This record gives sequence, C-alpha cells and structure tokens, in this order.
Amino acid sequence: MTIRRRLCRGDNRLVANWLRFETPAGTADTRAVTDRVYHRRVTSLVQLPRRPVFEPQRVLIAAVGTVAGVAAASVVVAALESPLVAIADASPVYLVSVVLVGSRFGMWAGIATAIASFLTYDLLFTEPRFSLIVADPRELLDLVLFLFLAVVVGRLSALGLERAAEATRRASESNALFAMSRILAIAPDLEAAAVEIVERLVRETGLDRVWIAVLRTGQTTILADSEPGQPIPVSAFTTSLVRTPGDAPAKWVRSHDPKAAGAASSETRSEILRVRMEADGALIGALKATRVRASGQPPRETTRLLALAADQLALAIRRDELRREATEAEIARQGDTLKSALLDAVSHDLRTPLASIRAAAGALTDPDVTLTDDATRSAGAAIDLEAQRLDRLVHEVLDLSRIEAGALRPDLEALDIRDVVEPAVDRLRPMLGDRPVTIDLPDDLPPVRGDAVLLDTIVGNLVENAGRYAPAPAPLAISAAAEHGRIRLVVEDGGPGVPAQSQAQLFDKFYRVERTGAGSRRGLGIGLAVVRGLAEGMGGGVEAGPSALGGLRIVVELPVAATPPADAPSSLGSAPTAGAEAAASPGSEPARTPR
Amino acid sequence: MRRSVVANLAAHGYRVVEAGDVASALRSWDAERPDLILLDLGLPDGDGGSVVRRVRRESTTPILVLSARGAERDKVAALEAGADDYVTKPFGLAELRARVAALLRRTGGQAADPAGMVSLGPVTLDVVRHVATVGGTPVDLTPREYELLKTMLSNPGRLLTKARLLRAVWGTAYADEGHYLHVYVSRLRRKLAAADQAGETRDLIVAEPGVGYRIAEVERPRR
Repeated sequence: MTIRRRLCRGDNRLVANWLRFETPAGTADTRAVTDRVYHRRVTSLVQLPRRPVFEPQRVLIAAVGTVAGVAAASVVVAALESPLVAIADASPVYLVSVVLVGSRFGMWAGIATAIASFLTYDLLFTEPRFSLIVADPRELLDLVLFLFLAVVVGRLSALGLERAAEATRRASESNALFAMSRILAIAPDLEAAAVEIVERLVRETGLDRVWIAVLRTGQTTILADSEPGQPIPVSAFTTSLVRTPGDAPAKWVRSHDPKAAGAASSETRSEILRVRMEADGALIGALKATRVRASGQPPRETTRLLALAADQLALAIRRDELRREATEAEIARQGDTLKSALLDAVSHDLRTPLASIRAAAGALTDPDVTLTDDATRSAGAAIDLEAQRLDRLVHEVLDLSRIEAGALRPDLEALDIRDVVEPAVDRLRPMLGDRPVTIDLPDDLPPVRGDAVLLDTIVGNLVENAGRYAPAPAPLAISAAAEHGRIRLVVEDGGPGVPAQSQAQLFDKFYRVERTGAGSRRGLGIGLAVVRGLAEGMGGGVEAGPSALGGLRIVVELPVAATPPADAPSSLGSAPTAGAEAAASPGSEPARTPR
Repeated sequence: MRRSVVANLAAHGYRVVEAGDVASALRSWDAERPDLILLDLGLPDGDGGSVVRRVRRESTTPILVLSARGAERDKVAALEAGADDYVTKPFGLAELRARVAALLRRTGGQAADPAGMVSLGPVTLDVVRHVATVGGTPVDLTPREYELLKTMLSNPGRLLTKARLLRAVWGTAYADEGHYLHVYVSRLRRKLAAADQAGETRDLIVAEPGVGYRIAEVERPRR
C-alpha cells in the first residue's frame, strides 16, 4: 500500500484546518501551534483521493449495452432495407439505440453507440459495402446528428440519475438523522444514547470499531465504545475528516505520526478515522473508528453517517453540559436559600439563649455588684438552662448537616422499640409538663431494624416537638404496631394540630407552621426534617396527619428485624452441668435466618 | 473547659494534676500515678486512645473519657481500649463528679461470694445452681439470658460495651448474634421486671444508645 507523501505544506488552509484537531479550542495563534506540531510530529499529511470513478463492472455493462443496442438496431435496419420492405434509408432506427443506450448507460455509452452505429451502417448498409468510404454526405450528417443526440440524451439521463441518486442520498441522510435524533431523544441519558449510536454506526458502516472520546475539563474520557472494556486502539495513521464551512465537500486527511504513543507496538495495517465534534465553535471531542488502512477515502455513505453522528452527538453533549450547569446553578441557588434560612434561624433562635447567658455571666462577673448566694446560684442555673437549650439547637443543626452531607452511616441492629421509647420519654418528661402521656407498645411487637442512636433521636425529636407545639395539658400518646413487615410508630398529641395544607411541608427544613401568640417561634423548624432524614436513612419513612386526639399525628415507619429464636429452655433448678455451659456457647445455637 | 473542671473538682476535695497534651499526660502518669484519669479524646497532639492503651498496659487505674456528642465510634473505641466510662460533652459538672465518684468507689469486678452468690440490688444469682431470683421470686431465664445477667451483675456501676457483652456471653465468634443483643437484653429486662413487684430493677440495666449498657450500683440511689 502506498502512501502518497504529498505534504500539504502549500495548502495552508488544509494544514491549518487539520491541525485544529490537535489544538485545544480557543488557541489564539493557530498557525504558530500548527507549525510546531506539524514539524515536530507529523511526518506526512496526505489528502486521501476520492474513490476512483472508474468501475470496470459498470464499463463492461455499458459496453455490452452498446453492442447489444447497435446489433439490435442493425438487425432492424437490415430487415427494413431488405427487398421485402424496401425502405431506402432506415438509418434513423439507430437513433432509437442511441437514445436508449444513452439514457440507460450515460453520455459516453451514447457517444460510443452513435459512433458504432455510424460505422456499422457505413460498413454494412451503404455502397460501397464493407468499406468505410463515405460516398453520401448525408451519412456524415447522420453521424453528426447521432453524436449530438447521444451527448444531449446522455447528459439529460446522467442529470436524471444524479438527481435520483441525490434524492436517495438525502432520503437516507434524513433517515439517519431522524434515527439518531430519535435515539438521543428516547434514550434515558446521554451515555445510553451514545452507546446506541456507536452500535448503529458499526452496523451500518461496517467499521471495525467505533468510539466516542469526549474532552471534559481538559481530560479525555470515552463516552461510548462499541467494544467496551477493550483498550483503545492506537495507530501511527490517523485519518481525519476536515470540514470547511460552506459548500466545500469534506476531505479526509491522513497524518502519519510514527512517534505516536504506542504506535510502534500497535498494528500498522489499521488506521484510525477521526471526526471532530464541535459545538458553538468549541471542541467537544471526537468520533473515532478503526478501519483497515486503505489508500482511498472511506465510502461516501460512511463519511456522511460519521459526520452526521458527530454533529448530533456534539449538540447532544453540549445540551447535556448546559443542562448539568443549569442543575448545578439551581442546586447552588437552593443552597444559598438554605444558607440564608439557616442564618435567619441562627440569628433568631441561637442568639436568644446566648443573650441570656451573657446577661447572667455579666451579672456574675460585675465587680461592683455583690450578689447573694441565692442570686449567684440562680444566675448559674440560668446559664446552665440556656446552654442546654443552645446545645439542643446545635445538636439539631449537626444532625441535619450530617443527613444532608450523606454522612449518615446507620449501624443497623435489631432493637426493641420499647427500649428506645421509654427512656426517651423519661428523659424528656420535664419539658412535657403536666399532661397525660400514654405509651401503648404491645409486648409481642417484633424487633425493629434500626440504629439505636438515630432511633433515639427520632423519638426524642417527636416527643420534643409535641411538647413544644402542643402545650400541656394536651395529651401525648405513643403507640406502635407491626404491619406488612414494617413497624409503625405513632406519636400524636391533642394540641392545636397542623392545617391539612401544611402537613406535606411539615418535614421540610426550616418549615414552621405559622402561628400567632406566645411560643409561636421556638425551635429551628428542623426537628422534623431530621426525623425524616434519619428514618429514610434507616430504610423507613414518615407521614403526618390529623390525630384522633385533636392535634398532629406523626407516623414513623421502619422495617422489622428478623426475630431471633428463643434459645434453649431454662435450666432453672438443675445443677450446673457441662450441658448447660455448652448450651450457652455459640456452637450449639440454632441456625438463624440471615437478616 | 479544663480550668472550670479542675477548679470544681479541686473545690470538692480532689487533688488534680493537669496535662494539656498526650506527652505531658504520659509524663504526669509516670510521675504521679493518679487514682483516676479524666481523658479528653480531642487532644491537640494525638489520639487519646494511645493514652488509654498505655495506661491499661501498666495498671487498672480507672479512666473516664470525655468525648464529643455524635462520636459514638470514638467512645466505643476508647472503651474497647480499656477506658471505664465516658461523659459526653457538653456535660454538667454535677454529672461529671457523680461519674468520678462512682469510678473511685468501684472495687473492680465482683466475683461470686464464697457461697457462690452474686447479687446486685434485689437480683441474686446462684452461680452454683444457675438460679436467678428477684426479691426472692425465681425468674425463668434461658442460658443466654442467664449469662447476660451474670456478666452484668459482676460489673456493678460499669459501662459494658456491646462487644464486651457479646464476647462474655457468646464468645468471640458471635458474628450475627451481635445484631440481636438488644433484643436479648430487652427480654431479660422484661423478665426481671415481671418478677419484681417493687419496681426496683427498672434502672438496673440502662441502655446507652450506640455504646452498650450501664449497670447500676448497689449503693447508688436510683435515678
């Protein structure tokens, strides 16, 4: 295989165009870069010739057509000029052949038919026969007319054929375009669409392997590959499609770079086809394919499909990037909203206890004031109380930030929900004040699967929430039931409740039900957000609704844990034996169902 | 914070030696051999756990760990390394003093008395006959529950981590059972409560979420 070492030094536009492939988008001095790259690496740069027009098969068919046409016409002429019919000059019959052959096989076949017809007629049917002497000038006129007709008909039919071919080409192009946009529109994401397009290209072009390299933040990543997992092929020969703006046809330019990374070890019989993908004038990546190295251009069909795919993919990738940027901007915006809400909450709720603490501390440290022992103690107690309140708020914020950061790593265990609820209620009893508290947790409740610390926080937050927003003597009721493999823990109160339209937002951060009157603004409004975050982190969920007690009812749903089987029956009253000891060792424990 | 803790403990009659980092803590340990060590896990120059391990190699001196809230893993690690108890920051000084006093009172694990009886509050275990009673009422326990109770009663006033209980009752190869420890303890507590008319066992075993169980002291007034 010969490489035509026609270096394109003279064709600046071509070189510059081609070398844009190597240059990152936006380089100001393209020429400077191109020359450097060109001299340093590329030893040859060749514009691949178009596929040769000469196709022996077609010529053969045209020749056969010509011969057949002339022969048929000759037979007809012979018949017409025979004494039976006795038409003196039947030579116009050849016109039929010329027209037919010319329209069917093109201009050159038509001209050949015209000349052959003239010669045959001259040889066979005019005096003197079997010689090429033209006695009658009329015959020369015939020849000129035949030739003229052949050229005209040939041109016309060629034009028709070209138009037909063009129409077919456009149809297939728009089909391919439609198919690709369809893939891009239907596929769940860009990656899936790219994979499908790559597979389609392999199927339709017969290329060995097609892949898409995308340039993202200076790094090249493979978006899709028809042979995923295989190493990306390297070759010293890279053939790139150079498309110039306007109507100029695309050109394939081959570069030979013997020093290409890994080229020496790779197969030299193949080359890499590369079609640049760009959108808004910026380089996005390249559509690449391998094929057996050939001197000619890839077929036009292949070129067209690759170019189309590259354009569509470039647009899709760009769209994807824009969408991602928009999403990020939206997240950032929401983050800002969150931050300002947090700042707002901090300024209102965290400062109140701080102000009390500073006031009390100021009183204690004032050298001009002599406090009685009782006053000192009560100032200290105030500081302690406010500090505890501050601690609770900070704790809530920390819980929330852990949930938001995805830092929740629940340590899931089988827990008896009674062991969680009872201590939490005991702990918070002081803030519940004087109110009836009902705890209804059936003895046969299966264990719940959860993290002891997180579950404790959930129950604590719910009880605290009820204590805060349903002031005593509103009753508080906690109950639990097992249902369809889930434990439903219900915390409800007899407080003022929450309007139905607000219940959906109850678990949003910083959401506080609008309320008037004393105590309307207490807490950060993140206690329930934490409850939801923690419950979801343990594979559960939450819901809110009106309670039969008149207030709010919150249901936390968590998965049931497998119940451990009871171990061996009691050895009560029996003497200590080796058997009893063995029963307590792990080996004799009955097999457990995996969790 | 160290200043107020030191001042408060000193005011309550303890002699306190301060150390600001791991190096000086270990120096004080060598020089003073204190009766109890209060250790903040958030030391500036390293891991408080190394202090715990070093002290445990040489002595059984009680170690009370101070740790931040939410750092359950650190707490458990320190307890596993040999610390005896922990207090979560922020804490009240009264709570801290109570823990310090409890640790100083503690005389190590109680073995069975010569008659083979282990008792704590109203609960008594007859180690020889494998019988548990609450205020004289026998309790029907499975072998697991019996072992759990025995381990707990042998460590009054102690904080028992989950891992420690599992090792004591199930042996080292407990694997999956670990997830069920809470359920076993829960059953045990309910059986004790059912046999206990006076309601004295209620606070005998207190769950410390994420860490383990705290066992009440006999002398300590119930909360």
